[in-house]
Amino acid sequence: MKRNVAIISVGYNGRFVSKRPDINIPELIQPAVANAISKTKLKPEQIDAYVVGNMHTFEGVNQPHLWASDHFGGAGKPVMRIATGGTTGASVFQAAYYHVASGLYDVVMAIGWEKHDEGDAQVGLMGILLPEAFSMFNFGPDMSGERGIAGLGGGGSTGGAAFQAMSYLTKANAGIEHIDRIAALMRSNAAKNPYAHLQQPGCTEADIAKTPIISYPLRYGHTCPTSCGAIALILASEEKAKKFGITDRVAWVKGLGSGSSDAATGNIIEGQITDPAEQYMCKVVAKKVYAMAGIKDPKKEIQVAEVYSGFSHQDLMWPERLGLVDEGKSPEMLDKGAFAIDGELPLNPSGGVTSTNAIGASAMVRVGEAALQVMGLAEGGHQVPRKVENAVAHGWGGLFQFVTVTVLGRTPVKK
Amino acid sequence: MNERVAIVGYKQTKHTFDSPVARERMIYELVKALFAELGITRDDIDTFILASNDFTDGRTISEVFTVPRIGAYMKDETKVESDGLSAALYAYMRILSGLYETALVVGFSMAGSEFRAPLIQSYTLDPVYERPRGIINYYSIAALQANAYMRKYKFTEEDLAQLTVKNLENANNNPYAARKEENPSIDKVLGSKPLYLPIRQAHVSAYADGACAVILSSKKMAKKFTNKPVWIDGVGHFMDTYYIGDRDLLAMEHLSAAAKKAYKMAGIKNPKKEIDLAEIHTNFSSEEPVFAEAMGLFKPGSGKDVVKNGESRIDGALPINPSGGPLGANPINATGLIRLAEASAQLRNEAGKNQVKGAKTAVVHAQDGPGAQLNTVFVVRR
Repeated sequence: MKRNVAIISVGYNGRFVSKRPDINIPELIQPAVANAISKTKLKPEQIDAYVVGNMHTFEGVNQPHLWASDHFGGAGKPVMRIATGGTTGASVFQAAYYHVASGLYDVVMAIGWEKHDEGDAQVGLMGILLPEAFSMFNFGPDMSGERGIAGLGGGGSTGGAAFQAMSYLTKANAGIEHIDRIAALMRSNAAKNPYAHLQQPGCTEADIAKTPIISYPLRYGHTCPTSCGAIALILASEEKAKKFGITDRVAWVKGLGSGSSDAATGNIIEGQITDPAEQYMCKVVAKKVYAMAGIKDPKKEIQVAEVYSGFSHQDLMWPERLGLVDEGKSPEMLDKGAFAIDGELPLNPSGGVTSTNAIGASAMVRVGEAALQVMGLAEGGHQVPRKVENAVAHGWGGLFQFVTVTVLGRTPVKK
Repeated sequence: MNERVAIVGYKQTKHTFDSPVARERMIYELVKALFAELGITRDDIDTFILASNDFTDGRTISEVFTVPRIGAYMKDETKVESDGLSAALYAYMRILSGLYETALVVGFSMAGSEFRAPLIQSYTLDPVYERPRGIINYYSIAALQANAYMRKYKFTEEDLAQLTVKNLENANNNPYAARKEENPSIDKVLGSKPLYLPIRQAHVSAYADGACAVILSSKKMAKKFTNKPVWIDGVGHFMDTYYIGDRDLLAMEHLSAAAKKAYKMAGIKNPKKEIDLAEIHTNFSSEEPVFAEAMGLFKPGSGKDVVKNGESRIDGALPINPSGGPLGANPINATGLIRLAEASAQLRNEAGKNQVKGAKTAVVHAQDGPGAQLNTVFVVRR
């Protein structure tokens, strides 16, 4: 018998922005925590445990939850730190789920954040590759295998993403204009989300097409910003949710999973089989999660998707890998308006990661936004008009290899 | 939901100060050897949990390259960025939830050869006020705590040296320990370099290269792996406030709370009597009496008597760190998990020269953060 777990509150520290020179990391986290608690009738001491995470190499503070413990309420409570690169936020949320599902705790808070103005995100990401680069300096250039990543990483993660984008466009028989189009949709969705970073009301394909190419086919307009922000979720067991009398406006965790394939970029250099646009692990995890959630046909039973796309071509790729759209059909879906907020499959009503990316928070924002859609509480006009029975939240990270999938719904899975 | 979870396999590397292989190979060989010992493959593991830290690995998202090396390629996996015992706690939760039956937990670092622990530790400090001044650090906190304990309870430098000697002797008999000092003696310890008095070089744990792997299983699946399961019967973890000035370094309230929670879960009423041995994560040997007392294993302030009567020695009433503890090897991120592996070895009567006779119940502790800000406690039984 499984224990049902619900998300009962979603809190932000305000709108995501480029720079917050006025505050430090603990001060960035605290308002999100306070916001999540203020939306419930809970008192802070009723939180049994905390699960937290960010990508600490960006800010240069090792395990900053230690320093921030007094600010988020962790002092005197059980605290666990999870970090898995881009998927960090979702991994933190999933760990919070297991805190409750294990029966050890009833009410648990999950917090994800990033304060990108404290460091340079591209330098931080180059930290994945530099150890290879250093060995190159020592032993002479060996561009085979994983060392080739250093060569690919010329533009932080954009270098590798460009390979993925080309591969995707080829498979889907699509062009750069499709990437422009989805990027414009995301930025205009973001304008309806009061918390989104890059808000461009009425952004068009032509606006995006004006931006310069960084690494073909990716333009500046296809890339995510580096944001400062934090998100906090409160999870509760079914018994507690009943006790609080809030079972009618919570998002039930119906299925969840995570997984890893191999770091993909090295294999491109070696000309091996791994194609960064295939994302086989995403298909495997999604299948498992749908089965857990009792979903037989994701195309019909899921009403909204929040996917993690650091680059706009991924907004086309992930719905296919998640089984929400037939392989290669995303460009067609986009062209007929299916991905719009009032479309057949609303995709990232929040504006997605290409509009807002505080990395340690981003995968949790996907879960939080999916929860808000299920609860019907998405603010500022980005609530999907039709009833959301099930929503899927996706996370992506590492060197094209980590994936997390979560399905939330209005009713818990029957035991 | 699963009701009971067991440790069904464990293995650690021979810890060193100069690992001949890189971390990826170290954990690959360790996990492969553990699978071979148990006669299993990676398909017998439902979920893989790593314990590592991008700062100690010197690499952003270092698990990009370490996850595949523990067999998690195309598998369900995640990473705890803390000590390995926290990762074991997460694995325990995952199995309790009933969604998984088996889990592999791996913790590792190259603290012996690739980085200086005090530097990496200093990055956990408040970067605005404390880090640049360098007054508050892991060593000075330990010295403040040791001084407070010594002054309050008339615990002398000789007593502390004797504790260090006990641990070094145990480490000498532990084939996995990195630090081997010939004929450790009180004089040698007191003659070692003073750092932050009373903390001398000899009292500092041996930051080393090493890894540890532990396999957890539900009761249902345990038989498949071993006929000597070690059961996790109680867990507790708590975080203290960050600022040292706000903490009671002697009472260690949150360690105490974690231990009490674990004891309650395990149905232990009198830990001093019911527990046969403890594996405690000490970064400095001066922490041993403070932590053991906070965990209810000895009366507060009894450190002097414990040392005098040899109560914490392997043949004593309640052996503390029969493995030598982190004084013998402290590969950050693996250290707490090694405590769990060592306790499992004791309960399975596989601890060789360091075997505590008739050990049935053990308590395991891990710390993280400055001055043991985060404490995790497990109660394990044969």
